[in-house]
Amino acid sequence: MKFYADVHLHSYYSRATSKNLNLEYLNLWGQFKGIQVIGTGDFTHPAWFTELETKLEPAEPGLFRLKKEFRDATCDELPPACAMDIRFMLTVEISNIYKRLDKVRKVHNCVFAPSFEAAARIRDRLGAIGNIRSDGRPILGLDSRDLLEIVLESDPLSYLIPAHIWTPWFSALGSKGGFDRMEDCFGDLTPHVFACETGLSSDPPMNWRLSQLDPYVLVSNGDAHSPSKLGREATVYDTELSYPAIYRALKDHTTDPGLKGTVEFFPDEGKYHYDGHRNCRTRLHPRETTAHNGLCPVCGKPVTVGVLARVEELADHPEGRKSPNWRPYHSLVPLAEIIAETQGVGPNSKRVQNIYRKLLAEVGNELFILLDCPLERVQKAGGALLAEAIRRMRAGDIHIASGYDGEFGTIKIFSPEEKQSILAAEQLTLF
Amino acid sequence: MLNPSQQQAVDFDGRHLLIIAGPGTGKTHTLTHRIARLASGLSGDKAVLAITFTNKAAGELQERLASLNVSGENLTAGTFHRFCLQVLRDHCARAGLSKDFRVAAPEEIRPLLAARWPELTQSKLNARLSEISRWKACEAIGEEPGTDVREYDAVLSGAGLLDYDDLLWRVWRLWQEQPEVLAGYQRRYAHIFVDEYQDINPLQHALLVALVTDANGITAIGDPNQGIYSFRGADVAYFERFAEDFPGAGCLNLAENYRSSAELLSASTQVIEKFNRFGVPPLTARIYQEGRLLIHTLPTAAAEAEYVAHQIEKLIGGASMFSQDSGRVASHEDQQVSFGDIAVLFRLNSQQHALRKALDRMGFPCHAAQPATGDEEDELCPAAPANIAPAAEKISLLTLHASKGLEFPVVFMVGCEERLLPLRLEGLPADPQEERRLFYVGMTRAKRQLYLLGARKRSIFGQSYRCEPSRYLNDIADHLKSLEDPPPPKRRKAEQQINLFG
Repeated sequence: MKFYADVHLHSYYSRATSKNLNLEYLNLWGQFKGIQVIGTGDFTHPAWFTELETKLEPAEPGLFRLKKEFRDATCDELPPACAMDIRFMLTVEISNIYKRLDKVRKVHNCVFAPSFEAAARIRDRLGAIGNIRSDGRPILGLDSRDLLEIVLESDPLSYLIPAHIWTPWFSALGSKGGFDRMEDCFGDLTPHVFACETGLSSDPPMNWRLSQLDPYVLVSNGDAHSPSKLGREATVYDTELSYPAIYRALKDHTTDPGLKGTVEFFPDEGKYHYDGHRNCRTRLHPRETTAHNGLCPVCGKPVTVGVLARVEELADHPEGRKSPNWRPYHSLVPLAEIIAETQGVGPNSKRVQNIYRKLLAEVGNELFILLDCPLERVQKAGGALLAEAIRRMRAGDIHIASGYDGEFGTIKIFSPEEKQSILAAEQLTLF
Repeated sequence: MLNPSQQQAVDFDGRHLLIIAGPGTGKTHTLTHRIARLASGLSGDKAVLAITFTNKAAGELQERLASLNVSGENLTAGTFHRFCLQVLRDHCARAGLSKDFRVAAPEEIRPLLAARWPELTQSKLNARLSEISRWKACEAIGEEPGTDVREYDAVLSGAGLLDYDDLLWRVWRLWQEQPEVLAGYQRRYAHIFVDEYQDINPLQHALLVALVTDANGITAIGDPNQGIYSFRGADVAYFERFAEDFPGAGCLNLAENYRSSAELLSASTQVIEKFNRFGVPPLTARIYQEGRLLIHTLPTAAAEAEYVAHQIEKLIGGASMFSQDSGRVASHEDQQVSFGDIAVLFRLNSQQHALRKALDRMGFPCHAAQPATGDEEDELCPAAPANIAPAAEKISLLTLHASKGLEFPVVFMVGCEERLLPLRLEGLPADPQEERRLFYVGMTRAKRQLYLLGARKRSIFGQSYRCEPSRYLNDIADHLKSLEDPPPPKRRKAEQQINLFG
């Protein structure tokens, strides 16, 4: 069966996350978004682990569902058009900060376990070497390679995926805290890594420019810090709904066709696409950075080098090259942002939220609306402007001021005149 | 590679040699090469004895010597305790011990004595036990034991146990009563090496004097400015007496420092100058990098701990996306510091609580070291569980005593206040000169960055105090001190702002 998975996210036990980032709301938002397989995040945190054991029950092998009494807690909010059987997978992201090859490395890694027993083994070993109680995403002075060893020893089906591999500060290939080659990060255990997460600021074509990434299948996840951000990015599977099937689709991606592709942010919208300094409000295309000798024109210090420049630095192919293991992808703008654009108000405003919920009730989940729903149906439920916005998004016909140095990019779908003329045309058809 | 003074120490040809080696002067390096020179060419029945301060140091020494082709059979390396344990195992009948005698750690002994002396409170018992230990180390030679010691010994021998002090004491007695046993060791060891000579106590001193004869030699190395164990009976005065104890002895200085930046070295030299009674020449910096000494006083001990945690976050360059994105750390700050590069040092273990709390809240990995024993004595007792060292980097939380011999790019010394440094608390006798040396030991752990922090208000053992900055800070020239960054932003505010985006 076909399903979407977003398995890199956090619980309310992680720092700077929303208080309602709990299983009940994840179960609800998974249905809003159309994400059927959701990572639990944070399984090394002892209190969250206990909560997972209490509230989840086994479903298919290696996957869990929220027990009915907890599902019921949010069922009033759920429009029947979105109803879906959500599954959870035991996951955690580890922040590895350590010295390797004479530099401080900061690498985030996502870890996956097929059972509570395997998860407990990982939790206990990490608990013995660091602090896993303060943060759902623990900060450990542990080498990524040694983390991978602990993961591999916990269960034959446990695996690790380096997270958002291009993020400057915290990733395997990042400009600040990363390495130039995956092998330098995972050493002798590199062959046990079979997938990489693209992160919000890069899309598959950027990654395809590196031969060194050819052995890996690309996955996408949303790294949500609140339930509404679930599924910003996701991975599409068409295989049996089970942990072993997902594992095989990743590990044996050259022969197993289970992994179908990804849905992505427009990379320009990610927080680290361009270079720059947020505090100085300098946003630079890598070309401009080069023109300024890598220094911020405002403060004169080196700029934070974004993902685009870093990819350019490490790439050995020009733009347009396809990896032998490439999968299709779709670039999306979150529905609330599209509504916000059509309404001319902020995406968190009451008005946008009301329209969002109404659309879900009348049409179905967000990914369906963004990707598959016929535009006439969108127009009927949400008006011509929204339908046109979604058409343009699907066609990639939008304008984005790129993100840089931690600042998200900003999206523009319409000019004010365009907006007026579409609305006027709609008025004409109504009367 | 040896510098000229190190080379001179290695090549010194007289029988007895005292090497004064300040912090970071390549002490172990020099010692290793001198051992290698004197051990090479020894016949099978001869060996050198290397007394180290910890068993870990002994292990490292053996490794380095193995790489210089000094084989195990020509080398005995270990602490005084381990060496004496081996002597007793080899001669247990002669020493009047049963074959299966056992050495007990203080934790095992304490309950036995608590049962013997039920009238003592916990702290009185601890005080009596340390006094017994000190007596055994300092005064047992030539004196009759008092009632406490006799009762204590009766309890231990009733249980078939020896304590750590007994190991040394029993060997001393064995050698006195059976000179042929001593003569065997005198013949076997062609040369004796002693590391950390400033920290030896009278009993250890007596063992060395006994072992050194007209036919062998001794090399002692250490730094009288770093003597910090007088509470255990150690006496830096043995430095002065070396030439009397071992006639004809030479004395050499290692004065080139390969650890700390020049600024930090000048500052620590200014602090120790007021003690320097042995006239140790000042150290010269051989590391050419910028150093930074930062002195800062905070309102409370909790604020001091928060400050440490916040500074560490800045040094690491932000430990989370959150700290980057919230602008809590400047994104262009250069960061080549990881957790293993950082140590937080304090005078009393009780200061650790606030620090742990603050670091925990940040989610930073840290490990709290045990109060210094100066000797990993656990290894002597099979009962003590093996301590499996984790492979992950952590921030080191250490008492100043435990920090001895270690070095870190970044060092925070907290509690730089009168009453803590120098320690002046009722019931905790402390020698002001030794406190100064302790302060010096702490400062000289730092390679690049040293924070000397204090609080204006602090509670110690439940008692609240107003605090004045430590007198030692006044000895540092103002031009070396950089006095404070802008205050850290208020955490809660930053977090709320970020949640608006979440």
